[in-house]
Amino acid sequence: MEAILKRNRLGQWITELQERAEIYAPDFVEDTWEFAKVGRGATVELNHSNTVRPAKRFVFPQREVLYRFRIENSQSPKLTDTEPKVESTVVFGVRPCDGRAMVRNDRVFTCGFSDPYYQARHDNVVFVGLACNAPPSQNCFCVSVGGSPHSEDGLDVLMTELDGRYHVKALTDKGSDIVRSAGDLFQDVKAADMDDVGNAHAIALEYSQRSISSMEAVAAALRRNFDSPIWDKLARACIGCGACTYLCPSCHCFDINDEVTNKSPLTGARVRTWDNCQFPDFTMHSSGHNPREDTGARLRQRICHKLLYFVETHNMQQCTGCGRCITHCPVGIDIVKIANVMEEGVWQ
Amino acid sequence: MIPVEDIRARAKDLLQSGKVRAVLGYRRSTAGLLAEPAFMTTADETAALVLDPTCVGNLALYLVNEKKRMKHARQSDKRPLGIVAKGCDSRAITVLLQENHIRRDEVIVLGVSCETGGMIDTRKLNKALRGKGATSAHFEGEGGVRVSYVGGGTILPGKDVLADRCLECAKSYPLDADFFFGEKVDERPYGPRFAAVSAIAEKGSEERSAFWDAHFERCIRCYACRAVCPMCYCDECVVDSTNFIVGPTTSADEKADRVRWINRSATPSENAMYHMVRAMHLAGRCIDCGECERVCPVNIPLRLLNTMLEREALEMFQYTPGIDAEQPSLISSFRDGDPNDFVR
Ligand code: SF4
Ligand code: SF4
Ligand code: SF4
Ligand code: SF4
Repeated sequence: MEAILKRNRLGQWITELQERAEIYAPDFVEDTWEFAKVGRGATVELNHSNTVRPAKRFVFPQREVLYRFRIENSQSPKLTDTEPKVESTVVFGVRPCDGRAMVRNDRVFTCGFSDPYYQARHDNVVFVGLACNAPPSQNCFCVSVGGSPHSEDGLDVLMTELDGRYHVKALTDKGSDIVRSAGDLFQDVKAADMDDVGNAHAIALEYSQRSISSMEAVAAALRRNFDSPIWDKLARACIGCGACTYLCPSCHCFDINDEVTNKSPLTGARVRTWDNCQFPDFTMHSSGHNPREDTGARLRQRICHKLLYFVETHNMQQCTGCGRCITHCPVGIDIVKIANVMEEGVWQ
Repeated sequence: MIPVEDIRARAKDLLQSGKVRAVLGYRRSTAGLLAEPAFMTTADETAALVLDPTCVGNLALYLVNEKKRMKHARQSDKRPLGIVAKGCDSRAITVLLQENHIRRDEVIVLGVSCETGGMIDTRKLNKALRGKGATSAHFEGEGGVRVSYVGGGTILPGKDVLADRCLECAKSYPLDADFFFGEKVDERPYGPRFAAVSAIAEKGSEERSAFWDAHFERCIRCYACRAVCPMCYCDECVVDSTNFIVGPTTSADEKADRVRWINRSATPSENAMYHMVRAMHLAGRCIDCGECERVCPVNIPLRLLNTMLEREALEMFQYTPGIDAEQPSLISSFRDGDPNDFVR
């Protein structure tokens, strides 16, 4: 289902949707772009460069309570279910790389075993994508990893900005639903509109992006160089923080802890939080042995998971080329550069 | 402008003569505007060395990280490390010396003056460019800074682009360097010291508390601020639940009884605890390199917390960290004249 929305009607569409859902859209908060809740009557511009934090938190929040527990007088623990009751949510301005990352996250959380927490959130969120008419970050490389600035994967709606209007394409039932429910705001698509969409998409592809020439060659090189000393060299400046993975739209590792709120009776919650392969305790054994002892081994894990292991198990890169891990690394560690160095095999 | 060839030549000489095992400096980055750390171990590599207002990072961190790394290295090369250091970076080195974390003969300092004004603040650039990443930035003297980005360019006034710490910097060159490059300029054209923190400190407590609550709520506890800080060198951090040290000799009881001061969840209360404890642990130690604030992906103004304590240390104890390696550190010393009698 496709339709045209005049630019000045976007606000009205959002207002109508606010009757039944919480709306999020990129906002310039503290000098960075962030998905923020849209207040009644607030203007949404959709001219953002890529948000610092990706859209994954709408399906995989940094903290999820799995259940609550209470143990009284050494009786067996009483558990209370806390499967999330999620408000209907519509997220505007999702870039295609974040959409494609959602496909990867679905693989992890819903294939074989469906994670009820993830699924409950997923069922209630509508991702409205925005095609990138120009690269929203200087480190974009979606094309190299099989994506495109107007990829539809993982999105419910894809909007493309044209002169004074948006082309709005619903891609799923959830997507059709939010377009249909405000049907009178939209106009039919004419042939000229489709020409403009084609043009906008073609121009977008002409912008130069960062690039990796052959993902197959990179995967092969990674396989060959597991034990190479290059990893220590590449990771020499790495400070071992969590920026690259926490900000990655497809990093999905988590930790589970009990958070005790009262000692007697023992009360608390079992919670799942984001975890991070760049932290030292990620692979720490209780013996004290750590198989990924240094930053070199940890960087290797991150790059290989993205560009090799995920390809081996799911036949797709786990990286969608959003560029966040490059832009936000405090010391310039760059997955594109690493892929190229690996492929070319030039190091001492 | 400091001729970068001079620094390259010195770095090259140090490496060729085998006086150092590596030189830590800056080189251009493929990731973006800011220069990245370079670990040069051969004379050839020094050709890539750069020095300009994008050399923001504090390389003193790597003196700490290298020390940790060398502990596990099979053969340890005992030669010193050469390090390019700005005024603030060199104060960090001095604090490490004051605290006996490193020895003076373990480093050869290639000190550089920030004679052109200071370092770029990427947050300010982001603000001016509404999030578009800058691809280059050049000082044009009085005229300001010429900035380009994908699809355009503009000229911005220096104070809109320079880091606050540089605007407020008291000594914009190293006091302790083995080799020195540039002019020692004492007159700074910018604002007074503590300008940014004073503006916040004068607000009412409710307003300040709301200010910090809103910021701490946004923290994702990626620990980049702690990981980048040269003063946060503890092997185990009380407020970082992700770096417990467990060794072969740690007993089962010790593991079981480990106190977890804060939960892993990045909730406002845990985040506040994290930041408050970290700030207190930096009182009289933070030398205002601004790295913690720079690396924060969500722009939490951490520098305000640390400069507040720096101001307290100065006002209450007339203490400035990092200016004299022989000076006992604030936390580990006391004076007979201390106003609090519990100390005496
Ligand atoms: S690995 Fe980096 S570039 Fe790839 S999706 Fe994650 S953050 Fe984006
Ligand atoms: S690669 Fe960069 S962002 Fe990732 S852990 Fe290392 S320093 Fe932090
Ligand atoms: S760098 Fe920022 S987001 Fe990360 S832990 Fe520090 S304050 Fe929080
Ligand atoms: S607290 Fe921040 S400003 Fe102070 S020394 Fe550490 S990183 Fe630098």
